[in-house]
Amino acid sequence: MTTMLKAEGLTKQFILHNQGSVTLPVFAEVSFSVERGEAVILHGQSGIGKSTLLRILYGNYRPSQGHVHVRHGDGFVDIVTATPRRVLEARRKTLGFVSQFLRVIPRVKTIDIVKDPMLARGVSDDEATQRAGDMLARLNLPQRLWSLAPTTFSGGEQQRVNIARSFVDPSPILLLDEPTASLDAANRDVVVELIAEARQSGSAIVGIFHDEAVRDRVATRRLDLTAYRAAA
Amino acid sequence: MSAMLKEPLMSHDAVVQEAGEPDPILIAQNITKLYGERVGCKNVSFSLWPGEVLGIVGESGSGKSTLLRCLAGIDRPSGGEVMFRHGGTPISLFDIPEPTRRKLMRTEWGIVHQNPRDGLRMDVSAGGNVGERLMDRGDRHYGKIRAAALDWLTRVEIGEDRVDDRPRQFSGGMQQRLQIARVLVPEPRLVFMDEPTGGLDVSVQARLLDLLRVLVRDLGIAAVIVTHDLAVARLLTDRLMVMKDGAVVEEGLTDQVLDDPHHAYTQLLTSAVLAA
Repeated sequence: MTTMLKAEGLTKQFILHNQGSVTLPVFAEVSFSVERGEAVILHGQSGIGKSTLLRILYGNYRPSQGHVHVRHGDGFVDIVTATPRRVLEARRKTLGFVSQFLRVIPRVKTIDIVKDPMLARGVSDDEATQRAGDMLARLNLPQRLWSLAPTTFSGGEQQRVNIARSFVDPSPILLLDEPTASLDAANRDVVVELIAEARQSGSAIVGIFHDEAVRDRVATRRLDLTAYRAAA
Repeated sequence: MSAMLKEPLMSHDAVVQEAGEPDPILIAQNITKLYGERVGCKNVSFSLWPGEVLGIVGESGSGKSTLLRCLAGIDRPSGGEVMFRHGGTPISLFDIPEPTRRKLMRTEWGIVHQNPRDGLRMDVSAGGNVGERLMDRGDRHYGKIRAAALDWLTRVEIGEDRVDDRPRQFSGGMQQRLQIARVLVPEPRLVFMDEPTGGLDVSVQARLLDLLRVLVRDLGIAAVIVTHDLAVARLLTDRLMVMKDGAVVEEGLTDQVLDDPHHAYTQLLTSAVLAA
C-alpha cells in the first residue's frame, strides 16, 4: 500500500466579514488517507461540505485548521502550508481537479487545451497531439471542433473537453467534483471507464458523485461527512 | 510550528527559503513610500521567483501603482529595500549608481505602462520602436535587428505591412501590443505591468491577455502585474497580493485568494464583481 494523500484534522469555517461577521462552521477534524488505486467517494447530504473538502485538498480553499499531505516526488507536500509555487508545482505534476466546468481561456484551441498538461509534463508534441486526439474521439467530440476554441461550445461539449484534458494523462491524485453531471448515458459510461482505468494505473481518487449508479461503479470506499458536521 | 499556521493570512516569507529551491529574482523588503504625511504604501515584503507571475490588486488609491513604481526602480522608496538578482548576487536597486540602474532597467527588465504612449516613441516607426531596444542591448547588425523586429511584430499580431508606420497611426490595442513587443524583445527576465489591459475593448483585452499569458509562459519570465480587474488577475497570475490603504491585507495563491478570501476587504472586492 502506498499512501498518496493524508488529510489530517481538517476543520473549516467561513467567516463572512461583510455580513455581520457571520461564522459558518462546515466540518471539524476530518482525517483520512487515500492509497494508490483507491477511489474514495465523499458522502453526505447537500451542504455537508463535500465540495469544500475537495477544494481544500486541492489548495483552492484554506482550512481553518489541519493539513493535507500529498505524495509528490520523493516525499510529501503539505498543501496547506506550502508556498504558492510548491502548490502550483504539485498541481502540475501530482494533483488534478476535475469539475463539470471548463474554465475557458479565450482563443485557445480545444486540442491545445487537452495537450497542455502533457506538454507541461514533458511529453513530446507529436505524442501529445496523438493522445489528445484519441481521447477527444473517445469522448465523442467531433473532429471538426478540435481546432476551435471551446468558448462557443455547448455546456456538455465543454465538459468533455475538460474531462479529456484531465484524463488524457491522469494525475497520480485525482479530485473529482461531479465530472459526470449532465452528461448523456454514453459519455457518462466513458467517464466511468476512464476513472476505472486511472485507478488501475495507480491514481488515487477522491470524488463527489450524486448519481447513485455512477457512485457504485466508481467507489472502492465511502467517506461519510455527516459524522464530522461542525456544531453551529 | 503548526499553531502559527491556523490563520495563514499573511506569510512574510521574503527571506525564508525551502531547500533545493532556486533563488528569487526579486526581493522586496519592507517597502514604504510616503508622500509627506500621506502613505503611498507601507511595509510591503515579498519574493518573486523566475517564471512566477505576481498580481497586485486593490481599488484605485490602494497604493498598488506606487508600489510598482518603487519595485521597478522608477521611484525611490522612503524605506525598505528592493533586491534584484543580477548574475549570482542580489544587488540593492537603490544603492547602485543611477546609470547602472538605468542600464539594468533597459536590459534586464521591462515595464509595460498602462498608457502605451508612456512606453513608446510616438515619432519612431513600429519597427524602430522594437529595433531600438535591440540596439540598446548592443546589437548592431541592421539585417538581424530588422528580422528580430519583424518576428516580434508578428508575434504580437502586427502585420509586416505596418512595420514602417508610426504608432500614432495605430489603434489603442495595436499600440499596446507594440509596447509589449518593445518591452519583450530584449528578452528581459522580469517585467512590470501597470494595468496592461486598461482602457481597451473587451475583445481586444481577451486577445492581449492570451498573448501575454503565452509569452510569459513560453519565455519563463517573472512578472509583476498591477490590475484592478480580478478576471485579468485570475487568468495571468500565479499569486496575488491584495492592497488596501497602502498595505497588503491578504496574499496567497491566486485562485485561493479569489475563491476563499479571508480578509474583509478581499471578501468585499470579490463579491462586488459582476459575473459576465
